[in-house]
Amino acid sequence: MRSPKRSSAEASAKSGRGRGWLLPLFLLSPALVLLLGIVAYPIVRAVWLSFHRLEILRPDLTEYVGLDNYRGLLQDPVIRIALQNSILWVVGVVLFQFLGGLVGAVILNRRFPGRAIVRGLALIPWATPSVLVALMWTWMLDGNYGLVNDLLVKAGILSRFQPWLAQPWSALPAVMLADVWQGIPFFAVMLLAALQAIPEELFEAARIDGASAWRVFLHVTLPLLLPTILITTMLRMIWTANYMDLIMIMTGGGPGYSSLTLPLHAYYTAYKRLDFGYGSTIAIVQVLILAAAIVAYLRQLRKNEVMVQ
Amino acid sequence: MKPYSLHRSWAALKLWIPLGAWLTFVLAPYAWMFITSVKPPAELYTKTVRYWPSHPTFEGYRLLMETTPFLTYMRNSGIVAVSTCVIALAVAMAAAYCFSRIPFRGKGILLFGFLVTQLFPSVLLVLPLFLIMRSLGILNTPPALILAHSTFAVPFSTWMLTGFFNAIPRDLDEAATIDGCNRLQTFRYVLLPLSAPGVAAALTYIFIYSWNEFIYALTFTADLRARTLPVGLQTFMGEFIIRWDLLTAGGVITALPIVFFFMLVQRQLIAGLTAGAVKG
Amino acid sequence: MMTRLRRLQPLLVCVLAVGLVLLVGSAMESLRAQAPTVVRYWLWLDDPTEPMFDQLVKEFNATHPTIRVEYQFVPLSEYHDKLVTALAAGSGPDAGRFKDWWLGEFVKLNALEPLPTHIAKWPGRADVIDNLWNTGKITEAGPVYMMPHQFITFYLYYRKDWFAEAGLRPPATFDDFLAAAKKLTDPAKNQYGFGLRGGAGGQDQWLAFMVAGGARLVDAQGKVIVNNAEGVKANQWYIDLFRVHKVAPGSAPTDAYAQVLGAFQSGNTAMFAHHVGSSVLVTQKLGAANVGVVPIPAADPKKPATMATMAGNVVFAGSKQKEAAFTFVSWLSETAPMDKWSGSRQGQLPVLKSVAKLSRYTENIFFKVSLDGANYAVAWPPLPGVGYVSAQGWQANMQRALLGQISSKDMLDEIAKALQR
Repeated sequence: MRSPKRSSAEASAKSGRGRGWLLPLFLLSPALVLLLGIVAYPIVRAVWLSFHRLEILRPDLTEYVGLDNYRGLLQDPVIRIALQNSILWVVGVVLFQFLGGLVGAVILNRRFPGRAIVRGLALIPWATPSVLVALMWTWMLDGNYGLVNDLLVKAGILSRFQPWLAQPWSALPAVMLADVWQGIPFFAVMLLAALQAIPEELFEAARIDGASAWRVFLHVTLPLLLPTILITTMLRMIWTANYMDLIMIMTGGGPGYSSLTLPLHAYYTAYKRLDFGYGSTIAIVQVLILAAAIVAYLRQLRKNEVMVQ
Repeated sequence: MKPYSLHRSWAALKLWIPLGAWLTFVLAPYAWMFITSVKPPAELYTKTVRYWPSHPTFEGYRLLMETTPFLTYMRNSGIVAVSTCVIALAVAMAAAYCFSRIPFRGKGILLFGFLVTQLFPSVLLVLPLFLIMRSLGILNTPPALILAHSTFAVPFSTWMLTGFFNAIPRDLDEAATIDGCNRLQTFRYVLLPLSAPGVAAALTYIFIYSWNEFIYALTFTADLRARTLPVGLQTFMGEFIIRWDLLTAGGVITALPIVFFFMLVQRQLIAGLTAGAVKG
Repeated sequence: MMTRLRRLQPLLVCVLAVGLVLLVGSAMESLRAQAPTVVRYWLWLDDPTEPMFDQLVKEFNATHPTIRVEYQFVPLSEYHDKLVTALAAGSGPDAGRFKDWWLGEFVKLNALEPLPTHIAKWPGRADVIDNLWNTGKITEAGPVYMMPHQFITFYLYYRKDWFAEAGLRPPATFDDFLAAAKKLTDPAKNQYGFGLRGGAGGQDQWLAFMVAGGARLVDAQGKVIVNNAEGVKANQWYIDLFRVHKVAPGSAPTDAYAQVLGAFQSGNTAMFAHHVGSSVLVTQKLGAANVGVVPIPAADPKKPATMATMAGNVVFAGSKQKEAAFTFVSWLSETAPMDKWSGSRQGQLPVLKSVAKLSRYTENIFFKVSLDGANYAVAWPPLPGVGYVSAQGWQANMQRALLGQISSKDMLDEIAKALQR
């Protein structure tokens, strides 16, 4: 006679297969309706736009140009600069946001008096509206009366004030600093949540075995956090790739093109040159690059069985 | 072995020094914004950096509350953010449960498809979205923003929650099933409590995203019926007059509801929820 | 007898029905005539906490019971984009405040309603300063698309106290200007002669110095000539202020309005170019005794020039209430509303002869210098490419030139190309 445990497990598996598509459909339908209904149309339209040349309010002047926009993109010297900047921006920002957030998560996981308040305060950079983040950092980085310059000079690290946002080599890093600041709490919260899933027993066992705090972190904490880290980092990279508010307000993509990223270039092309066709092309190329990167990333994750099925 | 008191002070230092340093970096720009907000206009631009005003004033805050529709903006932001949280979280949880616990064909592709919407810069989605909102007749009302924010928040949250659900062992599901629970009960009594930290994180993310979202808020709202804080703050920056007093006071206050929200939500971020779960 | 009546019944019913329809129809007509026409108006305002505009609208609505104006504030930095989105979706306003930067662009898109027939019926038209109508036209002989409302001309602020201390006269020529800037520059004290603005919005002051230096964007026929020899020379002079003579702060390439204003107010720069819109702010901080104003110095004192820009009002081609919309925007350009706007904290130069001669403007040195400059001011030409150049094209190329990445000629070639698109 089959054990009751096995038979009911079989039964639930069977029912899953039998009603194979009904339950998933029901659960997924709100999300699908939202996405297909609201977002699919804009995406399809963007693709359509990239194959046309048009004047925004003159439907009579729309003409189909096939791959002309894409060909033009390959010859656009600004695209190369924008792509380089985008890569530097995404990798640099997410890396340091992650590191800062990891430090924060570990600290905020410890027990100490006033922890609830400190955790609340830790969210402030993420809670501050982007326009204020940009304005405050611009002010702090100012070359005449900025706080950052003042402190660096007083500490003896700098001899004179630097116009951080006006030099091609420091403009993008300066904006990256502001974005790193803004994003650290995001990682801190995500990693803090993931830390809670690690059973206390594992820490106890490691400590009983005589491991130092650092080794516990390296061999117990990090490996168990890895799935969350990888997924959160991927999501954050996608979002950062498209985030242009800070750059737009702090440097406008300048000086010259030294802090121009792909989405900012696409935006200027569409709304300032009023060339929605080419602007959509730039956006779509970025989508394709990101999609390729994600597919490669996910394949790697699946190989390492990170996304447990 | 160190004397107990020295051991305790060393342990305390190991906590408070990193904490202090980390917190200083995290709070310094906000503190700068607060300082700016209490500076009288005459002290705003000084040749050398002035750290604390000689005559701090809260006039900016008073003007903000009394002469601008700041509180109305805050009300609108609150309505949109809370509604988006509720709707987006519900939709994402349903989808995440499905992705995590139900095997079906095409799951990988669908999951990936959820991401595709995020790959586009929102400025290029604005115009078509505007057309959709207009045809739905919800322009300049909170539902337009709730809808737009949900379309962005749902894919992200689904991915995050799927990851957190996946971290909960399936044995627990089976144990619950054996005890007689159906899917909904399993979800409610097993998955939900154990993924509370993940849900808290997702909730925080959705709330902050919606609270601070700018481009859709700018495009889909026209006036006080629906205008939110980020757009309201931007109106304090004119062509030639920048109201630093209102801007910084507004910035200081805008961040606070999120801080309080998280102080409540962070109670879910306590270890030990999985302790004993497998054994029990 | 009864049967005849019964046969008439269908006819009676028809007559009654027709009569009912006519009655209801005329009732609805009169009702519709009584409900005010709604005019949707967009604007940006420097300081939206000021009640000036709200009061104007209330006054208009009260004195024009058949029209009701509903307005929306949009921050200037987002104004153009939000307008494009709304118009593209067929959901734009009926009328709106507008900049001459965007005139060529929007006329090419058939987005603006030509106004001559409306203006011909407007009693206030004779009061507008004559040559200001041109700011709203694409070609001199063509129709007016934008009602003049508030304009500015560029001038130069300077620190009277510093100049007095250094024994300098206020600059009248390029040479004076450079000499004064050099004398007042002291990097050790973080002090510079001129707040050059290479960042967002700096194209207006650049144009002022370009035309004062003898360059022109277009010739009399409307052909783009900015990259000719005079242009390259004037542009080179401007670039050299930063690169060679170093009289501008190191942050100049990306300095926007907040930075150049802040630097002047905090005593980091001795001079900066702007217009009457900032005069209240500047004197508030530094005191009227310390702030002087002169016209933009000219390369050749016999050929002074400065730059003017107009913020006007337009009626959009897609509006269904063009008459009512024009009534409102023309009302804004009548004497009392014009005086109220120009006299407010964010006021600019009035476009009406009747208002311009009021003492509060003639006796204010900032208004006076501005209005004098209007006699020889040059504006951005109404080319479609000006929209892009003023939003990003000028900025990116100016910054590259200031950093030495491209030459003065290259920069002007890029701008010429963009203007001709």
